[in-house]
Amino acid sequence: MKPHLFPTIGPAVALLLGALTLGAPRALAYPEFQAQILKQSGRTVNCALCHANSDGPEGAAPGQIGHLNAAEMERLGQARGAFQPGVAVDSPILNAFGNHLIKSLGKTKFLELRVAPAQLPDALPKESDLDHDGIPDAQELRDGTHPLNRNDGNPWLLFRHNFRENFGQIVLTLAATCAGIYGLVHLLNGFANAMRLKREDGDEA
Amino acid sequence: MLALHHQTRRCGVNFREKVLNTESYLAERFPVEKLNYASMVEKKEVPVHRLSWAYYLGGLALFFFMIQMVTGLLLLFYYQPTVSDAHASVEFITEHVPGGALVRNLHAWCSSAMIAAVMVHLLTAFAMKAFGKPREVTWVTGVLLLGITFGLGFTGYLLPWHQIAVNATKIGLQSIEEVGNYLPGQLSTLPTLLKEIIQGEATVGQATLSRFFALHVIILPLSIVMLLGLHLFSVQIHGMSQGIDEAPKRTEKFFPTFFLKDLTVWGVAFMVLYVISVCVPFESLYSYPLFEPFNPKGSTPDGIKPEWYFYFVYYPLEILPFWVILLGSMIGGAVLLFTPWIFKNTSRRTLRVLAAAAAVYLVVMTLFGEKIYHLFKG
Amino acid sequence: MADAFLFVGLPYLALVVCIAGSIWKLRHAGFAATSRSSQFLESRQLLWGSAPWHIGILVILLGHLVALFLPGVWSSLMTLPGVLLAVETIGIACSLLAIAGMTMLIVRRLTSARVQAVTTVVDLVVVALLLAQVVLGLLTAISFRYGAAWSTGTVVPYFWSLFTLRPDMTYVADFPTLFKLHIVGAWLILLALPFTRLIHLLSVPFQYLFRAPQLVIWNTARRRQQAVTATVQAESRRDFLKGAAGVTAATGLLSVGVLEKGFNYFKGPRPDLEAESALLGKKLQRLQQTAEERSLELERQRSAMILVARYAELQETKGRYFIDYVMAPGLAFKGRDGVPIVLSAKCTHLGCTVGSEVDAQGRVLCPCHVSYFSVTTGEPHAGAPAKLPLPVLGWALVDAAGKVVLSRKPGGGVEGNSEPALLAQCSLYITKPGGAA
Repeated sequence: MKPHLFPTIGPAVALLLGALTLGAPRALAYPEFQAQILKQSGRTVNCALCHANSDGPEGAAPGQIGHLNAAEMERLGQARGAFQPGVAVDSPILNAFGNHLIKSLGKTKFLELRVAPAQLPDALPKESDLDHDGIPDAQELRDGTHPLNRNDGNPWLLFRHNFRENFGQIVLTLAATCAGIYGLVHLLNGFANAMRLKREDGDEA
Repeated sequence: MLALHHQTRRCGVNFREKVLNTESYLAERFPVEKLNYASMVEKKEVPVHRLSWAYYLGGLALFFFMIQMVTGLLLLFYYQPTVSDAHASVEFITEHVPGGALVRNLHAWCSSAMIAAVMVHLLTAFAMKAFGKPREVTWVTGVLLLGITFGLGFTGYLLPWHQIAVNATKIGLQSIEEVGNYLPGQLSTLPTLLKEIIQGEATVGQATLSRFFALHVIILPLSIVMLLGLHLFSVQIHGMSQGIDEAPKRTEKFFPTFFLKDLTVWGVAFMVLYVISVCVPFESLYSYPLFEPFNPKGSTPDGIKPEWYFYFVYYPLEILPFWVILLGSMIGGAVLLFTPWIFKNTSRRTLRVLAAAAAVYLVVMTLFGEKIYHLFKG
Repeated sequence: MADAFLFVGLPYLALVVCIAGSIWKLRHAGFAATSRSSQFLESRQLLWGSAPWHIGILVILLGHLVALFLPGVWSSLMTLPGVLLAVETIGIACSLLAIAGMTMLIVRRLTSARVQAVTTVVDLVVVALLLAQVVLGLLTAISFRYGAAWSTGTVVPYFWSLFTLRPDMTYVADFPTLFKLHIVGAWLILLALPFTRLIHLLSVPFQYLFRAPQLVIWNTARRRQQAVTATVQAESRRDFLKGAAGVTAATGLLSVGVLEKGFNYFKGPRPDLEAESALLGKKLQRLQQTAEERSLELERQRSAMILVARYAELQETKGRYFIDYVMAPGLAFKGRDGVPIVLSAKCTHLGCTVGSEVDAQGRVLCPCHVSYFSVTTGEPHAGAPAKLPLPVLGWALVDAAGKVVLSRKPGGGVEGNSEPALLAQCSLYITKPGGAA
């Protein structure tokens, strides 16, 4: 028997080699928040909530520190220096939500909150909704849903928002369905009546 | 010489009797003389009693199947069944194609609706003894259709190639291999071989995706259409079964009264499905890491489980020893398939009790399966 | 000043007169509060005039009323793609229909001798006013496109300012003259309503649509039978009509929604340059991943040894993932004695990937069904769903010169020199099962 073809297993070795050559600088991901979200919402989240890579910043895959080029390294350095809120952050290892988080809180405040991770959602701006799904980022953080994915969110909140958003479309569809059923019901009724009439005529003759 | 002649004659008589028996058996199951406008449309009546609502379930399942066909064909225009592109193409449909999210949500929600309708249809058909003579063919084709529908659910689950899809499929297929532990000697390798034949290789990979794609898109739908033809034909030619033990007091005309009600039910079902599909992306029910592209390195994310309609076998599988489930599902399958002959003389009252018990089991396992599992496993 | 009269005084005058006058008229005139019929006198031209006029004007009026009284619903409808265009097209088509019908009616009034006999001057004024009003509306629609969309922000607030008794002239000031005339026309028509044939707007016999057809017959057996037949026929005809109307409406709505949606679905997205390149980048990344996987496979088929990590990188508490010879994940640890531990990470229960963190009892966890595996032996804990231990993989430690220092075959013991100083220079490889290492 020929050796099997197993095409789907990932490029772990490449990752290993990357990490090998780099001697990866130890960047801290913040598992406190992850644990807090799981405790609060019952939903599991991974590093991709705030980071560019779902395995966190450490490693050599795209979006991880080992994969950055010189320009990106510089951006990372700038982002790490954003201690005060309001500084525009564009870190290559964070996603848009992670950058938004650091920009609106400042790195100092963020690091302080590690002790009280439950307060993180309250510290975020109330109105901001990065994925425009009608659920503010802070609420998404509490619910353990992704603030950048408009298909992810508390189902009931999503329902309310999307229902309002698509109200016109739903009304039109309802009208079309009702009109269609109304029409078909009457057509078939008329057909049945006509049939009955013909049968009675036949009976008489 | 004479004896031989005698023998052939007896053989001939036997043979002729057999042919005649078969003929009358088939004539009873397929009364083609009823195949005319008068008895199929004009004169057909539907009994009215307190279980009448169950007559709409089959039609509802058919309607959901039609929606599945339409939305499935639409998805086919963009979906790419390769390991590297499957997830990206599904993402492309939901994120970029105009109306793509709606089509995909319809397909996903409708699959659940179809399976729910089919399951309730089976239970009520059982409770109403809709398998009694001469409706055996209807029942057997129905059970086969149920199996294929589950098959469609299972194969369709893999196609988006995200974490939960691939891992749940792996777990599902692995249970085939488990059967090997209960087979003696050489036979014990057979299930592994069977699993690899289904997968096309030793782990779930490109070959599996291609096979499941072919099954999901061509083979299973085609078999459904063929079996459904037979099923619908026998339903229509025999008319609705009586449904209750005593003769029904009231009936209504199949055409147009019942047919129009059926149509209205379809309309309502469509609206409900449509509103849900527009407003609630089905991914929102699971945590998002499960929908990331399948990543074989690193550990499997938490919360891998099959779709809800497999809970009734999945959670027992987690709690009880494997052989109990194996035996149970084999017996269950056999009973289901041979129901028309096993329960030939059972009254509908008893059947209703049995169906209710089965329904309670299904509902409890589907809703509370996870809690029960945690109860047992801590 | 003129504006103030035309757009504040006139409207209130018209509304008051219309309401009071209509009540007075309906109370006093009773069944006579309608338009005088001329169908007996001339019916052919009437059909070709009256039907298009009424169909056209009713559709247009309905659109105006919805926009006026449900501006929220109306404007949300208009934001749907395709709807605005459809509404504008329907509006223009209907006003053309109404104009054609009204022209026919006017011609009839002016040319038919018999109709002349029942025509009053007021009738002629009313039809002229109506025709002018529709023509003005059509001209407005054509010269100021997409009125269905802009009206909600301009005319509707003006009307509501009137209704809420806080008349606001600022909206009117910006209206073009053409449109001002259209509005004035509307107030004039309203003003004339109670005193002309327009009063029939308020006495439409809607109940005729829903009541069963009534037949007047002689009471004999044969006639009764005929009557039954005729009733069934009439019912069936009404059903066909209603059915056709329903199906037409549904088809119309569907053609607005489904056609547009379907067309766009098949046309596909036209992402901008940035989105396009992001998409391409993602696709390329996935393809590269697949390519890497393929090359890993090839490597596993060809080479007898595969690098896992340098010995110095192995840890006791956290395993290192790699891909083993059957393309399943594996884990490598450093044992307490310094000898590497290399296990398959594919759970023996249902094939999930085992976690890499070693807990205090020296175990790793499979998260799927909670099996703990001992790192040293690979054995699952008692009562775990997994029954079999994680298989131990064959490995070799190779020094810089390519010499195997320490190795282990699956099922065999550790062979070679385990001097720590020597090991520190080595790299860990897994060896091909069955092959010579």
